[in-house]
Amino acid sequence: MKLNLTIQPRFRLKFPPLVWVLLTLMGIAFVFAMIRFTTGIGAISDLSYSYPWGFWISFDLFTGVAIGSGAFVMAAIVYIFELKEFKPLIRPSVLTGFLGYIMVVIALLVDLGHPERIWYMMIHWNHTSVLLEIGICVMSYLTVLAIEFAPVVLENFPKLHKIAHLIHRFIMPFVILGVVLSTLHQSSLGSLLLIQPTKLHPLWWTPILPVMFFTSAISVGLAMIIFESSLSSRFFKRGLEIRLLAKLAKALPYALGVYLVLKFGELAVAGELGLLFTSGIMSVLFWAEMLIGVIFPIIYFSFKKNRTNPDALLAGAIVTLLGLILNRFNVSWFAVKHPDPLYYLPTFMSNVKYIPTLPEISISVGIFSAGILAFGLIAKYFPLFEDEHEVEEEHQPMKRFQTLPSAADD
Amino acid sequence: MTEIKHHAYLFDATRCIDCRACMVACSVENNIPMDKTRIWVAGVGVKGEYPDLERGTMVFHCMHCDHPDCMSACPVGAYTKAEDGPVTYNPDVCIGCRYCMNACPFGVPHFDYDKGIIDGAFIDKCTFCPQRIYNGQEPACVQTCPTDALEYGDRDDLLKIAHERIAAHPDRYIDHVYGEKENGGTSYLIISHIPFNELGLPKLPETPVNEVSEKVMEMTIPFALSWGAVLSGVAAGVHMYNKKKEEKDTVEVEVETTEVTK
Repeated sequence: MKLNLTIQPRFRLKFPPLVWVLLTLMGIAFVFAMIRFTTGIGAISDLSYSYPWGFWISFDLFTGVAIGSGAFVMAAIVYIFELKEFKPLIRPSVLTGFLGYIMVVIALLVDLGHPERIWYMMIHWNHTSVLLEIGICVMSYLTVLAIEFAPVVLENFPKLHKIAHLIHRFIMPFVILGVVLSTLHQSSLGSLLLIQPTKLHPLWWTPILPVMFFTSAISVGLAMIIFESSLSSRFFKRGLEIRLLAKLAKALPYALGVYLVLKFGELAVAGELGLLFTSGIMSVLFWAEMLIGVIFPIIYFSFKKNRTNPDALLAGAIVTLLGLILNRFNVSWFAVKHPDPLYYLPTFMSNVKYIPTLPEISISVGIFSAGILAFGLIAKYFPLFEDEHEVEEEHQPMKRFQTLPSAADD
Repeated sequence: MTEIKHHAYLFDATRCIDCRACMVACSVENNIPMDKTRIWVAGVGVKGEYPDLERGTMVFHCMHCDHPDCMSACPVGAYTKAEDGPVTYNPDVCIGCRYCMNACPFGVPHFDYDKGIIDGAFIDKCTFCPQRIYNGQEPACVQTCPTDALEYGDRDDLLKIAHERIAAHPDRYIDHVYGEKENGGTSYLIISHIPFNELGLPKLPETPVNEVSEKVMEMTIPFALSWGAVLSGVAAGVHMYNKKKEEKDTVEVEVETTEVTK
């Protein structure tokens, strides 16, 4: 008799390969984060006296908050302007915003010297600090986003339908609060650099930096909704609201046009148009961000065939996002000139160049992977893309809850 | 010694012999390792051609600005400006965001990059030696300076001395006291024979660099309230308009149907 002696595992983890990749990236980030918490920021990053803020701030804070702007843009479109046809887009964009902001906070916990004291911002207020405003706004906005997103989760639990219904009833104050908080902190990310008139290159430093940031955040939001809806329709094999996305794409040239006029108008008023050609690498960076993120999309999305073809739409949105993200990197990193020590300096000043290290980048990548994984899981187990029926049945919300199909069943 | 209303330093670059005794004195007095010193010497090296050689050094530490940018930037208010001059840092509330390092135009605050959360990573910078100046002594760096390149006293007295010295030797000094008006006035005054930018000092306006951001911050609350009101108004307006339109549409439909039935 032949004995089967191979041990059968009682429980086997079966994930798609992409999930394994994401989990590995998260694991690597976790290890580096532990090294950073035990031995200091200098152990894994190239941050220094000259570069107190580097890749984490430019990528996780500036870029992360900017791409989270889809949530407030969508909330304003659907609830304040009552363009109800866009309702199918609101849940995914609120979720993107919510996860994006959580990622920002996690990254800040790694970047802060005293992460355990992050809540000090709530009790020690220095009213002249732009960073305080951003901290307070991001914390409050996270709460608002959680409330806005809560119904999606609550609908999965029949006993909690009442709470979901209550949130639906009184959503307006939260929407308005969310838009106000977003306006404040999106623009304040620009104000953060106002205190560096001697360090930030004059092509970018202007007293109206907050206005610039807010205007471009709207464009980032529109592009991000297109990007994220296109991707999830491909990934989760569901229908694409191409008609709605085309409408958003049609709005993009207008939003970017305002930004373009502001950008060059400000330079003209300040008499700094000459710098556009005389600042060497800075001129190149400025033109790169303007051409990729502003001028190209204005032309590109003016053609109807680019707005109605899903591939062209996604490609255009990606280019726009890259250009606008380059702007965030320029403002917070590339165009900032740091003190240039002369000689006889203590060792803490010896490093005047900043090149982000691999661990530094892998922490950001790990946090980003966690965000993607969380989005995937929520999209799989919660009715993220299934609120189209909400519009018709709005007058009988209680009935809707009774007949709600449970997405978790499959 | 006369009573000091506004503690200040005066640095005379022509007198500095680059001995760096101030760095040692500061480290000893404040018990800091030399590689994290709160005071450092920067120099331009030897300039010019023989025999007209010139060299200049600049002693850097906190400028103790009258309108400190670190204090304006710090989200949790870890910095305080004493009425009599010193700008001090309180590690007990610091969250380690390093915004002060970005804000300071002189690049003074520095951070413990080699400490984990258990040791505690803090900002460090010159404290103006409160344990000495409030007990009638000079700060450690000043007391140890062998050539009196660093002097300490009341800001007005030092300004007078600086201007007198420049007037007495117009050929030796640049006719400018750095820090008298820069960044809204600092408690560290500098006179020099070489241009200040070559010493590593930034060119700053007479208004503090935090002026614009503080003005923007003042507008925040009124803006937030009015923006919230505007948005509420728009939302209410759009809602009313849509409702009216809906009613009108249904009425029209009804009229049409009644006409048809007639």
